Amino acid sequence: MTRLARHLPGLLPFAAAIAFWLVLPQAIDYPTYMLPPLGQVLDRIGESVMDGSLALHVRDSLWRLALGFAIGNGIAIPLGVAIAMNRHVSDLLRPLLTFLQSIAGIAWVPLAIIWFGIGMGSVVFVIANTIFFASIHNTVTGVQSIPNTLHRAVRSHGGSGVQVLTELVLPGALVQIILGLRTSMAYGWRALVAGEMIAGTSGLGYMTIEAVQWYKTETILMGMIVIGLLWLALDRILFVPLENATIKRWGMIRA
Amino acid sequence: MSTVLAAPSLPLSRRLARPAKGALGLVLFLALWQASVPLVGLEAYFYPAPADVWRAFLDLVAKGILPVYLIDSIGRYASGVAIGTVLGIACGLAIGISRLADRTLSPTINFLFAIVEVAWIPIFVIWFGYGFKTILIALTYVVFFPMLYNTLVGVRTVPQVFVNAALSLGATRLQLLREVILPSVLPNIITGFRVGAGFAFRGLIFAEIVAAKSGIGYLIFEGAANHQTARTIVGMIVMGLLWLGIDNLYLKPIERMTIERWGSVTTAERRE
Repeated sequence: MTRLARHLPGLLPFAAAIAFWLVLPQAIDYPTYMLPPLGQVLDRIGESVMDGSLALHVRDSLWRLALGFAIGNGIAIPLGVAIAMNRHVSDLLRPLLTFLQSIAGIAWVPLAIIWFGIGMGSVVFVIANTIFFASIHNTVTGVQSIPNTLHRAVRSHGGSGVQVLTELVLPGALVQIILGLRTSMAYGWRALVAGEMIAGTSGLGYMTIEAVQWYKTETILMGMIVIGLLWLALDRILFVPLENATIKRWGMIRA
Repeated sequence: MSTVLAAPSLPLSRRLARPAKGALGLVLFLALWQASVPLVGLEAYFYPAPADVWRAFLDLVAKGILPVYLIDSIGRYASGVAIGTVLGIACGLAIGISRLADRTLSPTINFLFAIVEVAWIPIFVIWFGYGFKTILIALTYVVFFPMLYNTLVGVRTVPQVFVNAALSLGATRLQLLREVILPSVLPNIITGFRVGAGFAFRGLIFAEIVAAKSGIGYLIFEGAANHQTARTIVGMIVMGLLWLGIDNLYLKPIERMTIERWGSVTTAERRE
């Protein structure tokens, strides 16, 4: 079977949906704000691309995501390694972390608005908060999954504390940490969209929820399409190559 | 009891010491928080003390607000998760059994998957208004996809030899489904349920913030909007306890039951 023939059936539902969307306004009478004609959505996308407003929202969203990702992981990974390497500290903090992890993310938005006001600060705080807790969990698990015998082996060969860290702990936990990066990004992306909807003044989430007030459904649909495509692109560009280079190389692939 | 479940053989003293240390950690955290309030010297709405939060909690219980909100949230959550789970498994099996249906629908499913749940809330609000209907549909949607996805993965990975063996022994399609496919897909279904239940919980809180007039999410939002920040924190703590309760009383026992019976639960999460 040629490649085209193999992918052809997969295109059918998209074609059917578009056909349905084109025919529906002619077939039944319903308020257009419920589902504006495809043409209107395409016009809206065209306009937003031409006047640069879509690019601005995308830029703001990505910038916040990058900032939250850097802050969250920048704190979570070193702290996670430090916590996991000391048994007393990890016993002390584990229940607290479990609890805080269960409320991480979107529930912090109202508090963040009080602390940072509506806008950039709140959204970045919520993304960083979400990413921090997703990532620290993976880091701690990764470090603690290293067998004790290996620790003893490094020690008994005269390895110093620093050498334990650089030669054993970091390489040993790396796979789990990378999995944590990807998982935390997925949670962070959700926090971004949700955070912008409640506390944003710009960005894709804000653009989409703001349109609800004016019944600009074509903008809502545009937002959903862009959010979907952007995530697919982010995942393919950032994480698939990273996993190929690391996890697959070391023989640990997740189904 | 299988060895998978047995706690790693720690000395008894350490097995007892661990929860004690964990509790100490929580107490220390609360003590530091309380002690920091006079040092920070900010207004109570900006930085409430644990004592304020406790008073707000008693007040919310005395006025009967918290119990009502809690019941509302649990009701929404349970109905959304139940509907989404049933639909997800049914569609997953139906699509997975037919190779043509699988190939036809998978790209669509992958694309819909990429549009995160929260992005659907605005259009749901347009279609169904603010309130119970929107929240229920949003939660159903959030649970549906991980269930569908994991069930599909499960059906795809049923070894063909088993299918052939059952068919050559004269099994009907229904028997094939019940005797071969369902048992081998079950671990995937459990995984999907766990992931879906987790996402749905966050979805619940978000949907209640945006589209409800009651519930824990609404409490968190409304408290902050009225500068009753202690109430917001009560809401966050109740939310955390509620999730830990769901996780420990329902999800983990279900997972454990399947581990005991089938010896494994796949670690495949939804492909993010």
